[in-house]
Amino acid sequence: MSYTRTAQFNSRRQSNWGRNQNTVAFASAVKLGPVTHTVLVALMITVLGLIYLTQATRASSYDYAASSTADQISTLSDQKKELEVENARLTALQAVKNSSVAKSMTTPTDTQHVSE
Amino acid sequence: MALFVMRLFYIQVIQHAYYMEQADSEQMKKFVLHAQRGEIYAMDGTTPTKIVMNETVYTVWADPTEVVEADKVVEVLNRVAGGNVRDDFKQYLTKKDTRYQVLARKVTRTQAELIKKENLAGIGFDAVSQRVYPEGSLAAQVIGFVDAEGNGKYGFEQANDTTLKGVDGVLKTVTDVRSVPLTVGDKNINVPAKNGANYVLTIDRNVQTKVEQALSDGMKNVGASQGSALVMDPNTGKVLAMANLPSFDPSNLSAVTDLSALNNNIITNPYEPASVMKTVAMSTGVDKGVMTPDSTYVNTDSIVIDDKTVQNATKGQTGTITMQHAMNWSLNTGSVTMATWLGNGSVDAKARGILYQYYHDKFRLGEKTGIELANEQAGTVIPPTDAQGNAIRYANMTFGQGLDVTTLQVATAFSAIINGGVYRQPTVIAGTMSDDGQTFRAATAKSGEQIIKQSTSDTMKQMIYNARQAFPNYHSSDRSGFYVGGKTGTAQTIENGQYVFDQTIATYVGFGGEVGQKPAYVVMIEVYGPHKNLDGGHHALPIFTDISNWMIDYLKLTPQG
Repeated sequence: MSYTRTAQFNSRRQSNWGRNQNTVAFASAVKLGPVTHTVLVALMITVLGLIYLTQATRASSYDYAASSTADQISTLSDQKKELEVENARLTALQAVKNSSVAKSMTTPTDTQHVSE
Repeated sequence: MALFVMRLFYIQVIQHAYYMEQADSEQMKKFVLHAQRGEIYAMDGTTPTKIVMNETVYTVWADPTEVVEADKVVEVLNRVAGGNVRDDFKQYLTKKDTRYQVLARKVTRTQAELIKKENLAGIGFDAVSQRVYPEGSLAAQVIGFVDAEGNGKYGFEQANDTTLKGVDGVLKTVTDVRSVPLTVGDKNINVPAKNGANYVLTIDRNVQTKVEQALSDGMKNVGASQGSALVMDPNTGKVLAMANLPSFDPSNLSAVTDLSALNNNIITNPYEPASVMKTVAMSTGVDKGVMTPDSTYVNTDSIVIDDKTVQNATKGQTGTITMQHAMNWSLNTGSVTMATWLGNGSVDAKARGILYQYYHDKFRLGEKTGIELANEQAGTVIPPTDAQGNAIRYANMTFGQGLDVTTLQVATAFSAIINGGVYRQPTVIAGTMSDDGQTFRAATAKSGEQIIKQSTSDTMKQMIYNARQAFPNYHSSDRSGFYVGGKTGTAQTIENGQYVFDQTIATYVGFGGEVGQKPAYVVMIEVYGPHKNLDGGHHALPIFTDISNWMIDYLKLTPQG
């Protein structure tokens, strides 16, 4: 039995449609006017601005934290220096000489050199 | 709408530079990051220890354009730092055309913390360093001080001001209203400060303390009003102690009434050193081979040079005597006779040329030693080519007159005479210290120069030792079993170009150490008082002995036998 093609088919590849392109388009029933577009763009700009501000503020908050830490370091460094100065004053020869321990010392009557 | 867009375009594009400048002037601030001035250490035996430190104090300033509570600022500053504020500082808060007005200086950290707690807008703090001297006036003339502008004055501070200062850094940044630096912006500049070098001096605080005390005691005993004492290591040129009295307290400069107390006379005050120079003259004779300690001459207590007569200060040692005897009794005729032996029987051009070569070129008298201290003077040794460099001057120079030299020059020359003949440039720098105070880097040792023969040095060392041993009252207080020698000097003083006869400077220079070893120390003493005739043997020598005996203990030298 023979079969005869009666219909003529055109390959989609040969049509004007691009390969894999949707062949069906859905049109929205909602129509946006120019005012709505403007508002949306403004909203987007606002959101972006808020994001920028958030990040900038966060950076600034880090600056304050860094500044605070730097102050702490400076304060501790100053305290350390003050203690060093106090230590140097207390161990200065004049201070040692005038200490109660030094004043209670006596001069030996005789000293001998010992050979090792 | 178009108008709005055009206005925006005008402001943001056309006026861009103007508004950027406006914003920068309000938001950008420039801070100076102060470099820390280097600290100064002295030796404590073999351990460096701080003798000049920095203490952070604060300068409180205002930015009048940002101050909003002027009355509160005034109240807080008066309450917390009343003693440190500028006179009538309230007026500076109203100077709205300026952005930096100092309100208070030298505010302590605790005070600064209290002010900060008040959270005052427009008030800032600059941390600045001020010098602290834990050892008080110890070695004050060696160290010097730092003036209100942060510049080193006198001594080590002045001579090494540039390296001690370091280099300030800069921070240019956007700030908030309280001047807290922010990282926003692309114009921030941060150049860190480079701190100054921390120096370790060769000065030993123990030796310095002893020397200052011994000098003070000795001066009281003889009624002297001025004195100097120097202790050196003759084998390295390191200065272990350098003291002058009267001195000053660098932390209380307002108490200084006589500015001459700021001077380090050991390097700034050339004088005629008198008979201690016989050690240099005799070294010349020995080194040139014209004399030995046993060489003899006929002493008549005077000698004629050209038409001038040179007299001995000590009379009676007449007859044929040795050069050692002349040294012991410090006879001027001995050193002048030696000078004639350098020439053809007189202090002629040949003799003067040789003396100048040794005094000036070898022992470097009349030249700055190059020690790292401010205001060193060269002194004067007149060359024989000069009309003033005649025979009588050079005859006088053999016993320490007719030339001006500093105590440091004499002690350095003396060190070369007894250390084997090597000239060592004197120094006060032992090295540098890291900022954390943990790593000491020793300074490169300076090479010495052999200026007289080793044999000459050995001979002279023995001559100088003998000169001390010749008189019981010179050495009776010496620690036994050690090798201690020295030479006296009694220098006439000059006023208005004329010698005066009612005041003399007593000098003594000597060495000490273990028997058979290199001398461990050289000590030079100089004491003086107006209208006082002080002599080396009676007034300077006891101070030397005191220091010498102490040095023997301090250096843990071992006695012979």
